[in-house]
Amino acid sequence: MSPTNDAPSLDDVLVGEAVLGVYRQMFAALARDSGAVVDDPEMVDVAETLLAAFADAGEEGLSHEQMRHVCRRYPAEVFENRLRVLKGLGAIREVFPKPNQLRYRASFTSVVGLMFIRRMMRDGGQSEMHRLLALEQLNVADPRMTAEQAREGAEGLARAFRLWSVELVTLTNGTIEELREQAPKLWGTEEILQRAERLHGAILRRWPQLDRACTDLRAAIYAYGDASRRAAARLSDSAGTTRNLTLLPPETWRTFARTASREELAAVLDGFVFDAPAPWHEPAAVVSAVEDGPRTTPPRPAPPRPSVPDPGLSEDAASDDAAAERLRDVAEQVLRGRDRVAVEEVLDRDWAAARRLLADLSSAHLHPELPYRLVWSDGLACRPDGSPTWLSPGVFERTGP
Amino acid sequence: MTPPVPPEVLARARARLLGAPAIPVSEPVPPGLPTASDGSSVWLLPPWPDGATPALLEEYDIAPMPLDRPGQARRVLAAALRCCWTRLDDAPWPGEPAPVGDVLEVYVRMSRGDAELARRWATGELRRLHDTGWLLLDEDTATVRTGPRIALWPEGSLGPLRDLVRRLPQPPEPLPHVDAQGGAGEPVEDPGE
Repeated sequence: MSPTNDAPSLDDVLVGEAVLGVYRQMFAALARDSGAVVDDPEMVDVAETLLAAFADAGEEGLSHEQMRHVCRRYPAEVFENRLRVLKGLGAIREVFPKPNQLRYRASFTSVVGLMFIRRMMRDGGQSEMHRLLALEQLNVADPRMTAEQAREGAEGLARAFRLWSVELVTLTNGTIEELREQAPKLWGTEEILQRAERLHGAILRRWPQLDRACTDLRAAIYAYGDASRRAAARLSDSAGTTRNLTLLPPETWRTFARTASREELAAVLDGFVFDAPAPWHEPAAVVSAVEDGPRTTPPRPAPPRPSVPDPGLSEDAASDDAAAERLRDVAEQVLRGRDRVAVEEVLDRDWAAARRLLADLSSAHLHPELPYRLVWSDGLACRPDGSPTWLSPGVFERTGP
Repeated sequence: MTPPVPPEVLARARARLLGAPAIPVSEPVPPGLPTASDGSSVWLLPPWPDGATPALLEEYDIAPMPLDRPGQARRVLAAALRCCWTRLDDAPWPGEPAPVGDVLEVYVRMSRGDAELARRWATGELRRLHDTGWLLLDEDTATVRTGPRIALWPEGSLGPLRDLVRRLPQPPEPLPHVDAQGGAGEPVEDPGE
């Protein structure tokens, strides 16, 4: 922190306090209480929600109730706790520093700090490094820049690159899954290396006396380049053996596909055999294709017919009138002009003929359109010698015209 | 050069690369390939594990090989089956050769619209089905036979297809008669052609 080599004066304390104030505001969103970092990501969300609400509220700020309303998704004690910490660290302050102040405003530094934290979380410092390098490049070109500032910048960058490559080397020696997960955030692109070297060249041209710091920076850049190449080599080795395409980020594959020569691209599929194109026609698919297709035939085919013709049955079934006519003839023959006739008279012949006649008479009796009926009485005559051998007396009679 | 590949592995790779190539019966068959034989040639067919067919892909929501106008191709296949699969109680493979004209005629009767156009479409589909091994098209004698891939149809799935083929329009009457003779006595008829 602030270098306290001599006995601290009141001014030093004041300066230190101001610096601490900025630190506190910057990381207020991450603070659990004034002494520790959050242990639940939701706490940061509360801070973010609050800061967004403050940005919308404008210059009059928000009251306590309004803040509570904005954070209604979170439990009350979480909200109160966060508010107390944020107020304690200066991220949220009274509009005017006087007692019983009801309206609050938020600190700009905290929002920037939170943005920075989110960005670091998303891409792990690599884009931050890009930004730093770009800024440093601008600074070097700035005429107001002094050699001392340039040296500090170069040393800071050298330190960042060294730490960066140490982390990458550690990962490279670790498990492949961890490397795959973490490395894309860490390893460098050509661009970042080129940019760092350009910056290094610019510093060295403008302040040749800084060659020592520049040597450090150069060494750090090269070390970083080596580390990231080694990590990439390890990944592509394991990617080559596992054929797990997700081991490398999609950008790497895309770059390879764009820049590789035809031979290189062909070599990728060396040893592969591709099946000939073979569309499959499932029998069920053939059936449904025919059934769904346009057609001229009627949609419902006739039910299958037996190949052997059977005219007798169909003629019989079709001609009800003829059957009725035949029955009427039989009945008239039996009655012979009378209105009623005893059945035993009629059946008095051999049974083979009599039963056929009896069947016809029964049919005439049952036919709804014929005016004849059979009436049976209760008696039963046994005739051991006759045919039929037993008989119930009955009458066949005409019921109508 | 890579280390020498065993010949049976190479033969297997070639068979898969070429689709369903035919080899003489006397040649050795690479192990692990289902085959379909008609007595003089053996067709090497792509293997599917556990007796599955590519229809299984549908159950796993995997897109099958894309096909232009699959409905038309399958209707032409059905028309060809109507002519070549004469004994419906048997398996459709190897079937009997039928004149291309009959197949086209059946297809025209099955479908609606311009007959000439339908014939032309169907001819194209016949060629495509020949290329993929579903039919064997002999352009010199203008006959068509069921292809070796049809031998991959499991017997259990043929029932609805049999019913369908029974319902399809008949091939033109005199020609299948001639064809039946031609199929039985082909070596005799061939010089006459």
